[in-house]
Amino acid sequence: MCCSHELTEKDLAPITANPIFLEKIKGMRFFDPHVHMTSRTTDDYQAMADAGVVAIIEPAFWLGQPRTGVDTFRDYFNSLIGWERFRSSQFGIKHYCTIGLNSKEANNERLAEQVMEILPLFIYKEGVVGVGEIGFDDQTPAEDKYYRAQLELAKEAMLPVQIHTPHRDKKKGTQRSMDIAIEHGLDPRMIIVDHNNEETVKEVLDRGFWAAFTIYPFTKMGNERMVEIVKQYGSERIMINSAADWGISDPLAVPKTAALMLERGISIKDIELVCYQNAIDAFAQSGQINVSEFDTVKEIDQNLKYNGSSVLRGGQQPRVDKNATIIR
Amino acid sequence: MDYVYDKERMSALLYQIVAQQAGDKAELWLRQKAEVWQQSGALQQFNLTFSAIPRFIGKNQIIIDSTQEAALKAIVPGFSVQGWPADRVARAWWLLQLPVADKTAYVKQLETLFDAAEMNELAALYGALPLLAFPEEWTLRTAEGIRSNIGTVQEAIMLNNPYPALYLSEAAWNQLVMKAIFTDKQIGRIIGLDERANAALAAVLTDYAHERWAAGRTVNPMLWRLVGPFVNETSFSDIKRVWNSENTIEREAAALACAQTTYAPAIELLRERPALKAEIDADVLNWNLLSEKLN
Ligand SMILES: [Zn+2]
Repeated sequence: MCCSHELTEKDLAPITANPIFLEKIKGMRFFDPHVHMTSRTTDDYQAMADAGVVAIIEPAFWLGQPRTGVDTFRDYFNSLIGWERFRSSQFGIKHYCTIGLNSKEANNERLAEQVMEILPLFIYKEGVVGVGEIGFDDQTPAEDKYYRAQLELAKEAMLPVQIHTPHRDKKKGTQRSMDIAIEHGLDPRMIIVDHNNEETVKEVLDRGFWAAFTIYPFTKMGNERMVEIVKQYGSERIMINSAADWGISDPLAVPKTAALMLERGISIKDIELVCYQNAIDAFAQSGQINVSEFDTVKEIDQNLKYNGSSVLRGGQQPRVDKNATIIR
Repeated sequence: MDYVYDKERMSALLYQIVAQQAGDKAELWLRQKAEVWQQSGALQQFNLTFSAIPRFIGKNQIIIDSTQEAALKAIVPGFSVQGWPADRVARAWWLLQLPVADKTAYVKQLETLFDAAEMNELAALYGALPLLAFPEEWTLRTAEGIRSNIGTVQEAIMLNNPYPALYLSEAAWNQLVMKAIFTDKQIGRIIGLDERANAALAAVLTDYAHERWAAGRTVNPMLWRLVGPFVNETSFSDIKRVWNSENTIEREAAALACAQTTYAPAIELLRERPALKAEIDADVLNWNLLSEKLN
């Protein structure tokens, strides 16, 4: 979300195509472990596939508009394991998700109670790699209550936890999230603390948690800062994501940051860990990630694309020339 | 009537296929889950196992021999698991382990599975429609599935599935065929395609062809298979258009459509190309072969 940032002339200028970063990272594969594709278009899926994104995790979150009944949550969770997964497969991208009650909506207690009741129906599903994104927003007592309840649920299901840390009072909120997780007996290795910054990263790593960074313009991390963080802290237990959603955000944040890291002298091995492997290692603890499936989903896509069939089948998405004036 | 076929034999056969192809460890897991379920009868246990199946059974493609294929079809005509992923076969088997004594409870339990199903679970549930008890209960659910936009779900209902032709109303059936054509499915794999062809469907399809032509797009030649038996003055002009196409497959489709009718002008037209007619008479040209050429 871009709320406080003041727009300059430069921000308003038309975006010119600059695919240079694509050239640099050709042949590399990326995993974006936090991206809300529900709020994105198929064009984004295509661009992500072109940039080497092979798999993603879509955490359940706040959709940006009020939800007044439990059925809208049920339908949303359903779409994460159904429709969105299919949409992603059409572009050869393996789709996983995390399921949870987000902190903002935990404050509607009547509804939160009902959502808690349906969570067990979804967290055991194929491709659900964690409970998330959960944690604090305003750090209210209700948020505390449902955060704890969901930690217990994750423990029982032996699933990783994806923690959203607050925008306001971030440092304290991050510490508190970790304290509570430890208090409930969760292993820090099963917890991915998200939306870190320069102020929070050291403690998160020192305490043995995974530290995720969201490359998101104006409100979270910029990727130049991210490069500096990797230079300082290395690549162990660090991962990046785009958290692209309905706000001004960039679903290509992971490949773009990889290109920048390469340009600024970070080793290929470190880039691979931060942009691909660490996220897999963290979330594969769910027992739900099988890397060979990244290829299966690609093969399906490619077979359909190149078998020379005159009839499109299996939901293949025909390519549209975006630069053409004529639309057929 | 709960099961309209020999459920015990089907269950044994599916189990054998899964056990053969998924390996000993997988079979052991499945057997243990079944024992726990039989003893406890706890629905949550049933649901969790249904969801967990791919983790333990895997997704390797099931290849059955002709004996097994014939055995499956002998129990439920038209039903096969050839080419299914292993987890889908195991899930079909698992569904047969639900008690059917209480119809209301049985239906409710399946609806619950449908309502919280992920993509592969949906495909498994719809693929298992011909095996479910109380078959008349699933027609609305099937119509709902046809409205889905998920390709794998659509295919599980539309292709190689004997349930829809047996139980759907004409309107719902036409919806299925229409959507299959609209989403470019291999419609030759729809079971009961010719048996359930009807005049209303033929009329909808010719309208659809007109729309495609008006937009400068092509029309799937297989569409004329469903128009052929109902050719009349109106649709005959369409057949003639396809008959005069530059595309060989389209011309063959028009010929096959003409061979399906007693409408005199169509029979007349077919005589104009004796070579094509001879091929059709000798069965070296038919819809199945045409379908293969397309794919
Ligand atoms: Zn998010």
